[in-house]
Amino acid sequence: MKDAYIAGSGLASALGSDLPAAIEALREGGVAPRRFELPSGNAWPYHAIDDDCADWSARAERIVRRVAAESGALSMRDGPLFVASSSVDIGARELDRRFEHDMLAFADGVQHWLDWRGPVYSVCTACTSSMVALFSAADCVRAGLCESALVLGVELRNALSVGGFGAMQLLSQRPARPLGAARDGLVLGEAVAALHVSREPAPWRFAGGANVTDGRDPAGIVPDAVEAACRGALASSGVVPGAIDLVKLQAAGSPSGDANELCALERIFDPLPSLTTLKSALGHTLGASGAAEIALLVACIDAGVWPDAGHPLDRSLGARLVARTPERLRHALVNILGFGGGHTACVLEASPR
Amino acid sequence: MNAHYAGTPPPADWRERLAARLGQRPRRIGVWAELALYGARRCLDAAGLDVLPAGALLRAASLRGPMQATREAVEQGKSGLPMPFTFLQSQPCQALATLSVALGWQGDARFIACRDRELLLRMAEREAERHGVLYGWIEEGAKPSTEWWWIGAA
Repeated sequence: MKDAYIAGSGLASALGSDLPAAIEALREGGVAPRRFELPSGNAWPYHAIDDDCADWSARAERIVRRVAAESGALSMRDGPLFVASSSVDIGARELDRRFEHDMLAFADGVQHWLDWRGPVYSVCTACTSSMVALFSAADCVRAGLCESALVLGVELRNALSVGGFGAMQLLSQRPARPLGAARDGLVLGEAVAALHVSREPAPWRFAGGANVTDGRDPAGIVPDAVEAACRGALASSGVVPGAIDLVKLQAAGSPSGDANELCALERIFDPLPSLTTLKSALGHTLGASGAAEIALLVACIDAGVWPDAGHPLDRSLGARLVARTPERLRHALVNILGFGGGHTACVLEASPR
Repeated sequence: MNAHYAGTPPPADWRERLAARLGQRPRRIGVWAELALYGARRCLDAAGLDVLPAGALLRAASLRGPMQATREAVEQGKSGLPMPFTFLQSQPCQALATLSVALGWQGDARFIACRDRELLLRMAEREAERHGVLYGWIEEGAKPSTEWWWIGAA
């Protein structure tokens, strides 16, 4: 079995059009969410990419091309391409009403935009989509089927996601407060994120991961499944809990979801490692969140810049968020949980410098 | 043992057969997820398995996915908010959650599609080496189909 590394990454989000812009925005305290107004008049805060082009497809093409290029993956276009999304191109369908396209039409479009020559897969497991895509990409690289692969997490503006989450009463009317004492729901966001997965050694190795579907709560987080995903990720990485130096939480600001995640982590870790959450900075970018948060996490570590929670934390959770890079940072556990019974976790290992 | 079920198309009374097999009608899931459940159940029955074994993988694929629920949710969103269950049914992962409960299983389930079906099947076979994989391709609409393979551990 070969190793798989995160050879490069790219991100367009509400924080900026690329990773350096995102880090700069975090240095300055982040970017406040805008409002997303539905045709019905309902509106919620929303972390939008700063690009007001009305042509959904032209905007998507421009952003996808830029982010894929930022990841460095376009120098080798023969490996597998995994296009991961919860909403796929429903934003375009809402505008043109052309529902005759199949679900792979968007991935076909991305393949064309990038002049990609390798096989193309479409992954759709809601919030865990790009994390699951990363697992599949890493499997291919580790099995020696390819030298590299590209994971693209794409979640772009659409009314269905906002209206659907709103209808389920999962959204907050205020900026997200992950782990906050007054947290009352999620704030959605859009992002396009790329992870270039390669067998060539790079500063971060994908050590292992686990995907656990448990349908007992199809719209929420099941603590047993969070625990199983974290333990599975640790086992597949050959890492013991005490070796984890940082946990990037799901922590989306849901009253029960944040508590359930912490409850599961407390069964594994004693004491809890350093914790961070990126959703107050990015919003919950649904199917793109796995790739987006890994890309931003690695950039934060490299730059020594961390998002400021900016709100009082719920003391009953016993969680403290990092304000600076932990002194020792060899292994980071990344959690992406969600909707549809999906619970994923992976371990990233810093290569010796 | 390996098993294959090809409901291409499924019998006209497939919903009644599924309800009889489960002892109740599935509730609050869309047609696409129900088709997935029917085919997966038939495939496991053919393999002599009552539940999906622990450690096995679950893979689902489709060209069109739950398109009917997606269109309904978009239409509902034009004048108000989509109905919560319609929105849930528009997400392919809801079928994975349904299968997890109905097949008495917790584990690695993925919706992953590719135009090259052989490539996808080979990926599933490779992943199945240790504990087996239940792999299905589901389409709703005028020509519904639900085709499933149980590929046991090597």
